[in-house]
Amino acid sequence: MGEFQVHRVRFFGLVPAGVRCIAYQPRGTRLALARTDGTVEVYNFAANYFQEKVIPGHEARSVESLCWAAGARLFGAGLGGDITEYDLAGLSVGRGVDGGGGPVWSMVANGTGTQLAIGCEDGSVKIFQVVAEGIQFERNLDRRKGRVLCLSWHPSDTHIVAGSIDFFRVIDVASGQTVQRIMVNHHVEKAKRECVVWAIALLSSGTAVSADSFGRVQFWDWQQGTLAESCAVSTSAVLSLAVSEKEDSIVVGTSTGATLQLQLLPVRLGGLEKQWVRTKVFQFHSHDVRAVAHSPTALISGGLDAQLVIRPLMEKMQKKNYDAVLRKFIFPHRRLVSCARKARLLLFQFSQYLELWRLGSTEETGKDGEVLPLCRMPEHLLQLKSKGPEHIYCSSVSPCGTWLGYSTASRFQLYRVHCDGDGVSLSKVPKVPKLLPPAYQLQFSAGSDSLFVASARGSVHVFQLLEPGGCKHLHTLRPPSGCSEAVYLLAPSADGRWLAAVSGDWAIHIYNLKCFKHHCVVPRYDCAVSALAIHPTTNNLVIAYSDQQLSEFSIPEKQYTGWSRAVQSRGLHRLWLERDSPITHITFNPKNASHILLHDTFLLCVLDKSLPLPDDGAILMNQSTLKQLPETARKRQLHAFKICKKFQPLLFMDLLDKNCLVVVERPIMDFKTQLPQPVQQKKFGT
Amino acid sequence: MVRRRKAKAAAAGQRRAPAALPSPASSSEDEAPEEVAFGVAREAAAAERKLVGEAARRHRELLKEKRRRHQELFAEQKKRRLLPEAVLQELQELQDVSTGPAEQAAADDPGEELEAGAVQLEQGQAKVQKKKGKRSKGARTKGNYVAVCLKDHSVTGLHQQLAKDFLNAQLYGPHTNRVQANEFFSLANKRASVKKAAVQFVDKSWGQDKKEKAARFKKRWLASQIKNGL
Repeated sequence: MGEFQVHRVRFFGLVPAGVRCIAYQPRGTRLALARTDGTVEVYNFAANYFQEKVIPGHEARSVESLCWAAGARLFGAGLGGDITEYDLAGLSVGRGVDGGGGPVWSMVANGTGTQLAIGCEDGSVKIFQVVAEGIQFERNLDRRKGRVLCLSWHPSDTHIVAGSIDFFRVIDVASGQTVQRIMVNHHVEKAKRECVVWAIALLSSGTAVSADSFGRVQFWDWQQGTLAESCAVSTSAVLSLAVSEKEDSIVVGTSTGATLQLQLLPVRLGGLEKQWVRTKVFQFHSHDVRAVAHSPTALISGGLDAQLVIRPLMEKMQKKNYDAVLRKFIFPHRRLVSCARKARLLLFQFSQYLELWRLGSTEETGKDGEVLPLCRMPEHLLQLKSKGPEHIYCSSVSPCGTWLGYSTASRFQLYRVHCDGDGVSLSKVPKVPKLLPPAYQLQFSAGSDSLFVASARGSVHVFQLLEPGGCKHLHTLRPPSGCSEAVYLLAPSADGRWLAAVSGDWAIHIYNLKCFKHHCVVPRYDCAVSALAIHPTTNNLVIAYSDQQLSEFSIPEKQYTGWSRAVQSRGLHRLWLERDSPITHITFNPKNASHILLHDTFLLCVLDKSLPLPDDGAILMNQSTLKQLPETARKRQLHAFKICKKFQPLLFMDLLDKNCLVVVERPIMDFKTQLPQPVQQKKFGT
Repeated sequence: MVRRRKAKAAAAGQRRAPAALPSPASSSEDEAPEEVAFGVAREAAAAERKLVGEAARRHRELLKEKRRRHQELFAEQKKRRLLPEAVLQELQELQDVSTGPAEQAAADDPGEELEAGAVQLEQGQAKVQKKKGKRSKGARTKGNYVAVCLKDHSVTGLHQQLAKDFLNAQLYGPHTNRVQANEFFSLANKRASVKKAAVQFVDKSWGQDKKEKAARFKKRWLASQIKNGL
């Protein structure tokens, strides 16, 4: 691996926003997630749970509920009172339709996905029709006093149940009248506070399931108006509830961070009478679980501690393989840090501002594992707030450290950075060419003379950067067969001849920058690309897929390299494929052409193409054992993957010069103390 | 004649008054009424009459003063309701003269002031007529403003705030048993087999101003050292 001086950076103060609501696509493999800051993300379960789309939030936007309708259309509604459709191809928010009832607390789609019902602050339930251009108001159902906090359709779309404060009511959809009103707070002694029904569901057997703020999950026979069963699940509020498609399993999330599963099981083995029983209790979250979903094979929960947890159910798993493992996602699956290698600057992207830091330096040298004292501390050079209430899509800093750019949903800004002595000044570049915002990815060329802007419909704009501070639009590169999705990853080559671009349909196009023509397409692989980079000397494109596969494509020869074919035929090591997080950055060592450096959230790896690949029997993480072996024995056990798990959780890793690495970590406990207050847990003896 | 009658009446009243003066408690029916000289009585009556007259006159003066002040105030308010003199003059001119190019240029300025004035003050009947008159005659050829109807943010903002307050109260209200993050995450440290300190054992915000002062001093001292060194 060699000796590296590692700049261990922990001053990136990222605090991820909590998960507010999730929606599992009914007959699909995608999960939509909305956070408390208005960000909407889409995870593709088939592509190894990769976060394939991110729509950044807005200062004034709050999303209270999401739902999938008419197949693959995503709708969201929040306290602003608007119902908006999210354009997943263009990664933007469409026009909103005003609900007309004040803040919208919940929104559900019917079984066929043709109608949406919203529950508003003023107590009304409104039905909207999903049409091709958007949604259209259909009618108002019966309105009662009391805000409607949760809604649920009957599976046959005949009735809607609306949960409110202290009661819930069942509405007949055809007539629009309330057919039943059930009070929820009768059975609590000393009920000085109101009982809020946080979540409700209607089963096809005529049972209504309610989750309230006293920590109970109750099963009601709504036609008779009687309580069939009551489970006291927690001492604090039960905030969310989801029913499986087969209606034999319910998952609930509580305020303490516990997720529970209730199952409909026969009372006697083989008997007909069934009862709802609390079966599993999980404590995956430290903060409130405000969103749960039930997929056919897994329980999904999202909490205010910014975690998305997917717990596959063992009884649904046929084989005991890596599919049955618990998955937790906290950090985004894309890069939030850019590095200016020559100037030793780091640019951190937050949701509404950017921070530019200069790394510290040291004069000392030391042995393996030693911590060297700094002679110059890292400096916070500047903080650049984005204009407007929208959150930032992407940002980048040029390798020389003098150009800085970022993009929001409606703006694209480019700045020149002047560092003289100890002062830093920023000057805006005037007359930036107008392009259709937003820019989904920004990448400067290696010589800092051009800027590549990833845009919608698969197109990439090439801007030429002029001294002392100007920008000119040179060309727009488009894929030959057209594309409806936006480009989300870019990789320029070091010599300025080639550019690789990945769009949302997972097709990788390579363009020739000397004549601005499309060069070739990398053979299609049915998984999302999580990172790619072009080697500086050999012009090989190294691609990391979200299912942890690696491949290397030679751009001049337009085919996979021999090493890549060897990897595909041998197969990668089992432990390498069973990693939880995708590779988010690939970089190279200028001094050693056979080295590839990659990292994911929990490890960094130096891949040496000149060494043999490990077979499944070999130990993958063998760096510690290799250190203790003598030279001859070491040579026999060396293999290509040199992995270091010392720095976790990693947000970024890059090679500054021949023996200097920078790693950006974000320890979880550093931001957990900045999250909202959790519920107290009394433990014996404390 | 009237004066004598008045004097007689006053005297009679006075004669009667002293007769009524002694208090019934202390009077004894057998005592004779007091003897008062006529001249003294006349002077006393005159003085009293003068006093009463003075008081009445002062009262009348006061009322007059009040009324006068009120009139002035109303006049002032009425004047304020109308536009400044200059504007009225120009409007008058405008109404008299037909719309010519010279007036157009002048129309813009008083026109704008008119708008401003109309927005601030209540509309009087005369002004409305003037405005109407102005409008019908002096339509501007180049509008240097655009009137747009903004989305009403006030009501939705209030609703949103109420909703957020409700949510906050339900989730983080007094009955929810919430605890500080430090306390929550330090439980694990307390119960571990190797006990460790609390997660935020040292609060980084302690002594912030002292740290800042030290940093500034260090910078200045280094700068001075460099200067001296050179």
